[in-house]
Amino acid sequence: MSGRVGIIGIGQSAFRSRRDDASYPDLVREATTLALNDAKLDLDGIEAVVYSLSPDAMVGIGNAERVGVDAVGARNKRFLRINTGGATGISSVAAAYYHVAAGACDVVLTAGADKVGECGDSQTVLNKIWDPTYERQLPLGTINMLAMSAVRYMHKYGMTEEDMARVVVKNRSQAAKNPNAHLRRETTIEEVFASRYISWPIKLFDCCPQSSGGCAMVLASESYIKERNLDAVWITGVGHCSETYYIGDRMGTGFTADHADAYALSRCFARSYKMAGITEPRKQVHVAELYAPFSNTEFHSIEAAGLADPGQAPAMLREGDFQLGGAIPVNASGGVLCTNAIAVTAMVRVAEVALQVWGRAGGHQAQGARVGIASGNGGDHQFFGTIVVEA
Amino acid sequence: MTVKAKVGVIGVSIMPRVMDDRRSLEELLFEVTRQALHNAGLTIEDIDGIVVAGNDQYDGRAISVMAASGSVGGVDRDILSTPSAGEHAFVMGALRVASGLYRTQLVVAWSPTEVGSMSEAQRLAADPYFHRRLPLDELSTHALQASAMLAAVPGLEAMAEKIVAKNRGNGAHAYPDLASGELAVAPQRWPLPAGMAMAPVAGAVALVLASPDYVSEHSSDVAWISGMGWATEPGFLGDRDLAQAPALQAAAEQAYKAAEITDPGTSFEVAELSDATPFQELLAYEALGLAPRATWSERVADGSFGANGKLPVNLSGGSLTLNPVFCTGLIRIAEVAQQVLGRAGAHQKAGVRTGLAHAASGPAMQYQTVVVLRRGEQGAAS
Amino acid sequence: MELLKRQETWNITYTHALGETASWFFVQLRDHAKLYGKRDAKSGRVLVPPRAFSDQTLEPTTDWVEVGPGGKIETFSIVYEEFNGLPPPPYAFGYVQLDNADTAIGGFFKGVDLTDPKAASEKLRIGTRVVTKFAEKRTGDVLDFWFEPV
Repeated sequence: MSGRVGIIGIGQSAFRSRRDDASYPDLVREATTLALNDAKLDLDGIEAVVYSLSPDAMVGIGNAERVGVDAVGARNKRFLRINTGGATGISSVAAAYYHVAAGACDVVLTAGADKVGECGDSQTVLNKIWDPTYERQLPLGTINMLAMSAVRYMHKYGMTEEDMARVVVKNRSQAAKNPNAHLRRETTIEEVFASRYISWPIKLFDCCPQSSGGCAMVLASESYIKERNLDAVWITGVGHCSETYYIGDRMGTGFTADHADAYALSRCFARSYKMAGITEPRKQVHVAELYAPFSNTEFHSIEAAGLADPGQAPAMLREGDFQLGGAIPVNASGGVLCTNAIAVTAMVRVAEVALQVWGRAGGHQAQGARVGIASGNGGDHQFFGTIVVEA
Repeated sequence: MTVKAKVGVIGVSIMPRVMDDRRSLEELLFEVTRQALHNAGLTIEDIDGIVVAGNDQYDGRAISVMAASGSVGGVDRDILSTPSAGEHAFVMGALRVASGLYRTQLVVAWSPTEVGSMSEAQRLAADPYFHRRLPLDELSTHALQASAMLAAVPGLEAMAEKIVAKNRGNGAHAYPDLASGELAVAPQRWPLPAGMAMAPVAGAVALVLASPDYVSEHSSDVAWISGMGWATEPGFLGDRDLAQAPALQAAAEQAYKAAEITDPGTSFEVAELSDATPFQELLAYEALGLAPRATWSERVADGSFGANGKLPVNLSGGSLTLNPVFCTGLIRIAEVAQQVLGRAGAHQKAGVRTGLAHAASGPAMQYQTVVVLRRGEQGAAS
Repeated sequence: MELLKRQETWNITYTHALGETASWFFVQLRDHAKLYGKRDAKSGRVLVPPRAFSDQTLEPTTDWVEVGPGGKIETFSIVYEEFNGLPPPPYAFGYVQLDNADTAIGGFFKGVDLTDPKAASEKLRIGTRVVTKFAEKRTGDVLDFWFEPV
């Protein structure tokens, strides 16, 4: 493959609980306009659109991408939608990447939005992700699904609830520096412990919020960027990998992936690192935005990214390695724990590392970052996407 | 699409109608996948990536790709889903191979009939701001399109009836076991009389795509994608002239440019066009450059697009015979691939070198995709 | 300005075919209060709940194997928050590897006082032996059984 693929524009909403001033397509348009302005392009300059949208039921419109066509200016243009659950946003960036890498297009927009705050029953919707045969009769939801990962991780490596609280404190303090983050108030370990249990061992403060807002990015071919002398950062690694749908197959005997860990995420990082030529992530990666909607899942994500040995992430986090100013800041934006507009959450991960390696992250800039990694998780901890972005 | 690497179709499996409850949806997808892999002469170990498409509201699953993933070999593999349309999975799979990053892709779409009312599921796609209170299921949007076309072109009813007869005749030959029996016709929506659209059936379809180096290493028979285009109409019906198909014209332009087709009327030996209603097949004749509307009457009467005509359209019988709603678009592409590969069975046309597939999805053909397939050197058509 | 809102509810009914494998499993459960897994011949693993094929090897599963009623807890959660359409909290559920099975099946845990999260989590810790209990009136779904620590 000749010719790289660059990011030339980024737009994201200031995420909030509700956006009663804007309809769902209005939010998509808001992000699209911000990204086009950032790229100094108008809609005519876009050749194709990848629409980022996870479950329809979350926005309450079936095939809701259809009403988003005009919001992204796709009339009579190439347009398709991607859905890999929570990983949708990063999969959409990857899909846009393939458009350019294939040589089919020079300039591609990916955009989406979510209004999770308008869904009165998000855990009810999310229960419907499980199969109607064996699992849906159980009270499965995304919170207790990952609480069960926490239980296994605690058993395997000795993580404590205090370790989990430290993730919350770190990410909230970083979100306080990011004007687009949803939960921006700093907190303390005591406050996390004082919050009520949702699904043991996950407490309210260990959980992400339900956010409304949009995100969009413009990708372009190297020749397009060079010919116009544009400012860009580069996508140098892309990977996806999945594991079994059945949580109960990630335990017992003879399993491949342990529900304590993020096995397919580590395989996924191996793919994107190989493509980017990264052999020693702890030395070569400067900043990471890792999809972790609950505090405990940041640990196994850090380990899957090769930034810590299995089970070592809690101790390293305690030492300050993953905070802004530490060795490799993780979720300098505050991460998913502070902002979760599901359809674009994983796109925000890519957007944030792109801003970091671009030196445009503002108050939460990691100094000197040149190589960043982003990840997204979807389904029942099933689909994983990773991207490497370099200055 | 001018791409870096050529992309070929080397395996196809079409289940245009599944008539029993022996299998769960997951098991059906497992079966269609195994058939496609077998048809391509490879195993799941040879598959680098997968793209699938299902519709959450039809499936009754909040993220359809989750349940499907294990069935199609998604475990420990790279899998994406394009819930906008079955044919978009093909587009995405082709782009992935064309990027040079993948040697093979498996593409799968499906359409069950487990929902109590397909119409009810479809009406949820009307936005809650302006349209949810209207009875807008897909058949209603097709009826609105038919209505717009009837107003624009005199004498259309008779042509529509002839197209229904042509496609059902083809269907009875192509899939005699499936097309016979208690096949239901869709409920009436004026101006579509009962019988002018088929009720939904369950179905699934899978294709295997491969890169030139994979094809030459394995001496696979291949149908090369020589052109591919895709485009969308706007979201609100009121913003469209339903008697025209500008997005299909745009998609055709992309595909023909890449395939270097200047005279579509004489460039193909076979075509499969989306025909949720016969009016859509007519509209596609024009937008694809096969016949402008002024000539429809004559071309329909002289059998140009009949089984023995110059360009047989929908030798499979189309969706006017078998209508697994969400995968009808991808099935059009799969049918043409089979024709080009010489694997179409009962409805194989002899000597097919180049075929045209048109896939449409959504309200009144919102999403339009065009694929031109050409027989590879190794490809042997019977 | 006045900003309007509109409440909409989705309520669609589906009739899902369970297929031959799950149908057989649920009939045994309903009529005989017995649980079975199905073996993946290639890996030798007994999948519980039974699947018609293994998503790891992509091969059809072969023979039926009776599993349980004893087993051990592989993971659990105790839910203290109320969610629409889900049972009133607190409740405990999770996954159990039944004897003779290689994978874990989901079910409720009963017979544990859940008032104090810490104490309850000790009673349900990973590795705890449990026994399967069956409802007297069974309908053929996973709520026909639950697990209690031995």
